[in-house]
Amino acid sequence: MAHIDKTKSIADVGDGAAIPIKSDRGLFTAWRIAFVGAIGTLAFLSFYKPDPYLNIIKFVPDGIVVTFKVTVGAILLASIIGLITGLGRISSNRLFNGAASLYVEVIRGIPLLVQIFYIYYALGRIVKIPDLLSAIIAMAVCYGAYMGEVFRAGIQSIPKGQMEAAMSLGMTRGQAMRHVILPQAFKVVLPPVGNEFIALLKDSSLVSILAVADLLRRGREFASESFTYFETYTVIALIYLIITLFFSKLIGIMEERINAEN
Amino acid sequence: MLKTERRVMVQARDIVKLYGRFKALDQVSLTIHEGEKIVIIGPSGSGKSTLLRSINRLEEIDAGTMIVNGMDLYNPKTDLTRVREEVGMVFQSFNLFPHKSVLENLTLAQIVVRKRSKDDALEKAKKLLAKVGLSDKANAYPGKLSGGQQQRVAIARSLAMDPKIMLFDEPTSALDPEMIGEVLDVMKDLANEGMTMAVVTHEMGFAREVADRVVFMDNGAVVEEGTPEHFFTNPDHPRAKQFLSQIL
Ligand SMILES: Nc1ncnc2c1ncn2[C@@H]1O[C@H](COP(=O)(O)OP(=O)(O)O)[C@@H](O)[C@H]1O
Ligand SMILES: [Mg+2]
Repeated sequence: MAHIDKTKSIADVGDGAAIPIKSDRGLFTAWRIAFVGAIGTLAFLSFYKPDPYLNIIKFVPDGIVVTFKVTVGAILLASIIGLITGLGRISSNRLFNGAASLYVEVIRGIPLLVQIFYIYYALGRIVKIPDLLSAIIAMAVCYGAYMGEVFRAGIQSIPKGQMEAAMSLGMTRGQAMRHVILPQAFKVVLPPVGNEFIALLKDSSLVSILAVADLLRRGREFASESFTYFETYTVIALIYLIITLFFSKLIGIMEERINAEN
Repeated sequence: MLKTERRVMVQARDIVKLYGRFKALDQVSLTIHEGEKIVIIGPSGSGKSTLLRSINRLEEIDAGTMIVNGMDLYNPKTDLTRVREEVGMVFQSFNLFPHKSVLENLTLAQIVVRKRSKDDALEKAKKLLAKVGLSDKANAYPGKLSGGQQQRVAIARSLAMDPKIMLFDEPTSALDPEMIGEVLDVMKDLANEGMTMAVVTHEMGFAREVADRVVFMDNGAVVEEGTPEHFFTNPDHPRAKQFLSQIL
C-alpha cells in the first residue's frame, strides 16, 4: 500500500502517452527509442540476470491479462456511459441535461483513487459481485464522465446542416442522431477515445489497491515475497511502458488513416 | 385555370421571427398554391432564409400561423415529421451525408421515414439519379463529387420522398459559375413537371423564366409581390427599384 500512496496523477486522467505522427519527426524517433529501448532492456536484464528478472517476467503475465480485462471492460462500459452522458449534455430535455451535467461535475471534482475506493465499497454494500467487476464499474463510472465530454465534442463537431438536412427529410431527432450524426461523430471521437483507452490502461493500476490481481499487484506480490522491490518495479514500469507505447502507435496509425480518408 | 381554385400548399400569416429584440421577420404573410413557383429575392439579411426555413419549422416562429399542406405547424397535434416528409428542402451548402454513398443518401430517409422496402427505395433512387444525370455516380461518396453534382444529388434526395413542395435556399450560391447551369436545368425540369416550388435565389434569369410570382423582401418584410414581368420592368417599391438597379 505504501508504494501506491505515492503514486502521482491520481486525478490526472486526461492525458495518454503522446501519439506519434509522421509529421512530428522528433516524437517519432523518441517513440522508437523508448519502445526498442524498453524491450531491449527487458531482454538484456532477463538474459544476464535471470534471477530475479526472468522470474519476475514469468510471474506477472496473469496480471497483464487482468489489467487488460479491467481496461477493455472499463473502456467499453465507459463508452456507453459516455455516449449517454454526451447526448444528455446536448439534450434540450432539462432533466436529462441536468443529470448528465451534474454527473460530469461531481466526477471531475473527486480524485480517481477516492472514487475507486468509494464505488467499490458502496457497490459491495448493495450487491455481491466479483471484485474484478466492481473494479471495472468503478473505473467506468469515472471515465464515463470524461468520455461524455469527448462524445459531446464529437457530436457538436458535426456541422448543423447535417441535422437540418436529416430533419427536413422527415427524420426525428433520434433517427437523425442514429443514422446521420453519430456515425460521423464516431469517426471524430475515435482518436480521443483511443487516448482515453491509454490513460485508462495506466490508471487501471489503481485497482491494485482493491483485491484485483492486476499487473501492478502481481508485481507487489512478487516483490514482497522476494524483497526485490527495485528489480520488480523496474520490470513493471517497463511492461506498462511497452504496452502504452504500442497502443499509442496503433492509435496514431488509425488517426492517420482517418485523416487520409477525408 | 384560375389560381384561386387551386389548393393552397403554404399559408403563412403574419409571421414574426425574433432574434433577441431584432425582428428577422416582421408580420410576413405569404400564400403558395399547388403547382405555383415563387421566387423570393431581396438583399442579404432581409429574412429570405428565415422565411423559407419557417415553412418546415427548421426555424421556430414567435407569432403568426403557418399552415402547410393543410397542417398547422404549431398545432400540438400536428406530427412535424409528417409535414417535413412532404416538404423537400435544398440548402446552399448541399448538406449531403458524407459517410453515405450517393445511393445511400437517396435511400436512407425513404427506408427510415417512409418505411419503404430497400428494393423499392433503390429503384426510386436510381430513377432519380438518372433524372438528374448522375447514374454513373451512384456508388461514389459525396466528397468525390463537384459542387454542381452534389447539389443535383441533394435535389434527388429530396425528391425521393415524393414531396408536395420543394424549398430551395440559394441552391447555386456556393457553386462555381460553370456549374450553376446544370443545377438550374434540373430545377427548370422540375418546374415544368408541375412541382410547387419556393426558391430563394439571385439568379434573375431563372426568376424571369420560371417564376409565376416574384416576392421581394426587405428588412424582414415582403415589400413587393407580383409577376416577374411586372417586377423586373416596373416595380412599385423604391427599395425594389434600387435593388434591381444594383443587380441588373
Ligand atoms: N441564429 C441567428 N441569430 C441571430 N440573428 C440571426 C440568426 N439567423 C439569422 N439572423 C439574422 O436575421 C436576419 C435575416 O437572416 P436571413 O433570413 O438569413 O437573411 P437572408 O437569407 O435574406 O440573407 C439577418 O439580419 C441575420 O443576421
Ligand atoms: Mg439566406
